[in-house]
Amino acid sequence: MKNSAEVVIIGGGVVGCAIAYNLAKMGCKDVVVLEKEYLTSGATGRCGAGIRQQWGTEMNCRLSKASMDTFEQLNEMLDYPVDIELKQDGYLILAYEEKEIEQFKKNIDLQNRLGIASKLITPPEAQEIVPHLNPEGLLGAAFCGRDGHANPFHVTQAYADAARRLGVKIYTYTECQDIEMKGDKITGVITNRGRINTDKVVNAAGGYSDLIGNMVGLDLPVYSERHQIMVTEPVNPLQGPMVISFYHHFYCQQVPHGAFIMGQGDPNEPRGHNIGHSWQFLQELSQKIGRTFPVLRQLRIVRQWSGLYNMTPDSQPILCEVPEVPGFFLAIGFSGHGFMIAPMTGTVLAEMILGKELSMPVEKLDLGRFDRGELVLEPSVV
Amino acid sequence: MRIKNHPIISFVEKKEVNFRFDGKNLRGQAGEPIAAALHNAGIKVLRHSPRHNRPRGFFCAIGNCSSCLMVVDGKPNVKICVTPLQEGMRVEYQEGKGDIDAGN
Repeated sequence: MKNSAEVVIIGGGVVGCAIAYNLAKMGCKDVVVLEKEYLTSGATGRCGAGIRQQWGTEMNCRLSKASMDTFEQLNEMLDYPVDIELKQDGYLILAYEEKEIEQFKKNIDLQNRLGIASKLITPPEAQEIVPHLNPEGLLGAAFCGRDGHANPFHVTQAYADAARRLGVKIYTYTECQDIEMKGDKITGVITNRGRINTDKVVNAAGGYSDLIGNMVGLDLPVYSERHQIMVTEPVNPLQGPMVISFYHHFYCQQVPHGAFIMGQGDPNEPRGHNIGHSWQFLQELSQKIGRTFPVLRQLRIVRQWSGLYNMTPDSQPILCEVPEVPGFFLAIGFSGHGFMIAPMTGTVLAEMILGKELSMPVEKLDLGRFDRGELVLEPSVV
Repeated sequence: MRIKNHPIISFVEKKEVNFRFDGKNLRGQAGEPIAAALHNAGIKVLRHSPRHNRPRGFFCAIGNCSSCLMVVDGKPNVKICVTPLQEGMRVEYQEGKGDIDAGN
C-alpha cells in the first residue's frame, strides 16, 4: 500500500470513485480511494437505481440534469465495455392531493426553466404510460421521459476502472480508522493496513460520513436513516417508467433485467446506522404496491435488503471544503439521491480540490448554510 | 424412467393422469411434481437461460434455482419441481422471462 498521496478519498461508492476519476483526468493522479469493504458495498449498491431530474430545488435540478447528460455518454467517456443499462423511460410521480399538484406545478416551472422537459399530466395520460396503474384516487402526475435507470454497480465499476487506468490506487477492505491532524491541518490518514501521509482528505463515506467528520473534530449536520428495498423475480418488460408517490412513500421500477425493485420511506424510522431488515416492511410495501399495481401481485419477492440515506436538514448534499479544517472536503448528505447526481459531483469536487474554476457553482451547498439559516428545503424525497 | 423398488422408500402407486406438454399428450401420476412426470417421459431440457440461451436441466429440485420455470395453464414462472401434477394441465416451455398476465 502507498504511504503517501496527494488526495485520500474515503468511500468506494459511486461518489468516491467519480471524484477519483475526475481528479486523475484533470492531472492529479496521486490519489488513493479507501473502501472499508468492497466497491458499492454501502449506499450505492443498495440504492433503488433510479436517476431523475424532477427535483424541487435549483441545485438538485442542476446537478441531476448535468449528471444525466454524463450518464448518456458514460460508456464511451469511460471506455467501459459493459452496458451501464441506461434506461430512459421516464419517472412518473403520482399526485393524490391538491397540494401535491400545486407543489408539482412549482417544481415543473423550476425544472422547465432549467431545461428539464417535465410536465404535469392527467390520470388518463398516466395510464397510457403505465397501463397497469390503478387510477383510483389519482389527481394527476408529473412526468419526465428522459429520467430513468442506470446500473449502480456498473457505473461505479466504470469510474473505478477508468480511475485505475489513470493511476489511482483503490484499496478495498481498507478502513479509515483515524485522521491525523497538526493544529487545524491534516497530516495523514490511519487505516487498518497502515498510515498514508496526506494533507487532503475527501469525506465520501455516505451513511458513515458523520463518523469520518468526528475524526477531524467536526459534528457534521447529517444523520443516517435506514431505507428498505425489495426485488421481485424478473419478467419480460411491462413497466416503462419508475413510478413514485410521495403521498404513499413508495417507488417502484422494472429494471432492464426484468425484476421490479421497490422501496418505501418510513416516517417513523429512527436515526442510526442500522441496516437490518424486517418482515413488516415486506407486508406493508406489498400491500401498497398491490393496490397501486394489481398485476404485480402475481410476482414473487426474491430478496430484500436495506441501506442508509445520509440525510441533511434540507435534503440537499453538502459539497465544500470545510473552512475550519483546510484540506477536508465534503461530498456527503446526499439524502437518498447520491447515485443520480454522482457524475456532476465527481466533476465539481475534483475542480474544487484542485482549486480550478467550478463548471457549476455549488456555493449554495456549503456547510455554512445551516448556520446561516439559508435553507432551501427539497420537497421531493421518498 | 421411474424407480419402483427402493431399499428405504416405498412408493405408493398413484392415479394416472393425462396432461399436455409442448403440444404432446403425456401421462404421469397425480400429485407428483410436474418435473418428475417430465423426467419419466425422457424430457431432460426444462428451460433455456434467458441471456445465453443455454439448456437447463433438472437441478435443485426444491424450488430454489429457477432452472425449471415453465408456463403452466398460462401462468409463467411456475417452478415445476415443486408443483403437483393434475389431470389436464397444460405445461409449456417458457420463452425468456415470462409475461405476467395484465388481464388478471
